Amino acid sequence: MQQIALKYSIMMTAVALAAMLAGVWLADIYRERDSRAVLLPNQVITLFPDPKPLTAFALTDHKNRVFDLASLKGKWSFLFFGFTHCPDVCPMTLAVLARARDSIAKHTAGAEDIQFVFISVDPNRDTVSKLGQYVDYFDTTFLGVTGDNAQIGSLAGQLGAAYQVEIKPGLENYPVYHSAAVFLLDPRARYHAVFTPPHDAEAISRRFKVVRELEAGNAT
Amino acid sequence: MRWRYPVFVCLILASTLVTAASEEAGVSVRDAWIRETPPGMTMMAGYMELRNNTSRPQVLLAASSSAFQGVMIHRTIVKDGMAGMAHASQIELAPSASLVFAPGGYHLMLMTPKRTLRAGDPVVINLEFRGGLVLPVAFEVRK
Repeated sequence: MQQIALKYSIMMTAVALAAMLAGVWLADIYRERDSRAVLLPNQVITLFPDPKPLTAFALTDHKNRVFDLASLKGKWSFLFFGFTHCPDVCPMTLAVLARARDSIAKHTAGAEDIQFVFISVDPNRDTVSKLGQYVDYFDTTFLGVTGDNAQIGSLAGQLGAAYQVEIKPGLENYPVYHSAAVFLLDPRARYHAVFTPPHDAEAISRRFKVVRELEAGNAT
Repeated sequence: MRWRYPVFVCLILASTLVTAASEEAGVSVRDAWIRETPPGMTMMAGYMELRNNTSRPQVLLAASSSAFQGVMIHRTIVKDGMAGMAHASQIELAPSASLVFAPGGYHLMLMTPKRTLRAGDPVVINLEFRGGLVLPVAFEVRK
């Protein structure tokens, strides 16, 4: 009798433990669904079979140099559009890109032929000097770029990078909406691929390695 | 047969005690942190994991802190292919549910810090719940 009771109680304990574990697991899933997976599904990169050559645009980098089509030639460029008053998406993405750059630098091909460019779509608040302070913090090799609205629109339009600045008179913290994608331009200044959020440094680094190798194979 | 009764009593007692302790704790917060920003920037974001330990829904209404000019509860959303922010005015936590405030999702938007905050600095933010519960939470600034 005692042995049966003991077995029963062990069984009930096991059932209770299993139920608790299932609860923890379900709570995790719920949490992921509810608060994290708000951006696009994780497809990482879309490669274009026929990369589109960009046409002329003229912006200014944070060292007051012209940033135009010629600045893109000879380098792979990772472009991200945002604004410095952005508390969540921009710092998160720039931190990921800084880690991606570190990781790419460890590839055999290195990081000599790559550049990371943060383009502010909010020139009203983001001056060139402020952009310099901002990008430097994440990585001293990053470029901060901005310009007049027409020129920002010209480059963004060629990449399909949507953004919307809702300037309201008298309101300092007006909302800005912007694409969360990272655009990859090849050394011939062609729109080559796009990384879609949520971004991950290792995933970007690994995909880029493949893209660069493919392109090197095509060129020879 | 003799040992079973005390075991059951203990089990019942233990479960009562656990329930009582949870009710007492109300809402708990883990891993509360604020992302350090580049120098001179006025917008920061705070993240945390909230857990409702009670058997009733709890509603987060607002947050405040003497370290900032303003605190708002926001959520990063995607609209027409663009990321933006939406104000989250009330967030209901079901009984025993957790909710993660994480980069790319819910966050506390922290406007204009009154002093420069660097990695390692502690900051207290008060979370205000329906029914008058105010929970002071210690956040850590991290790089």
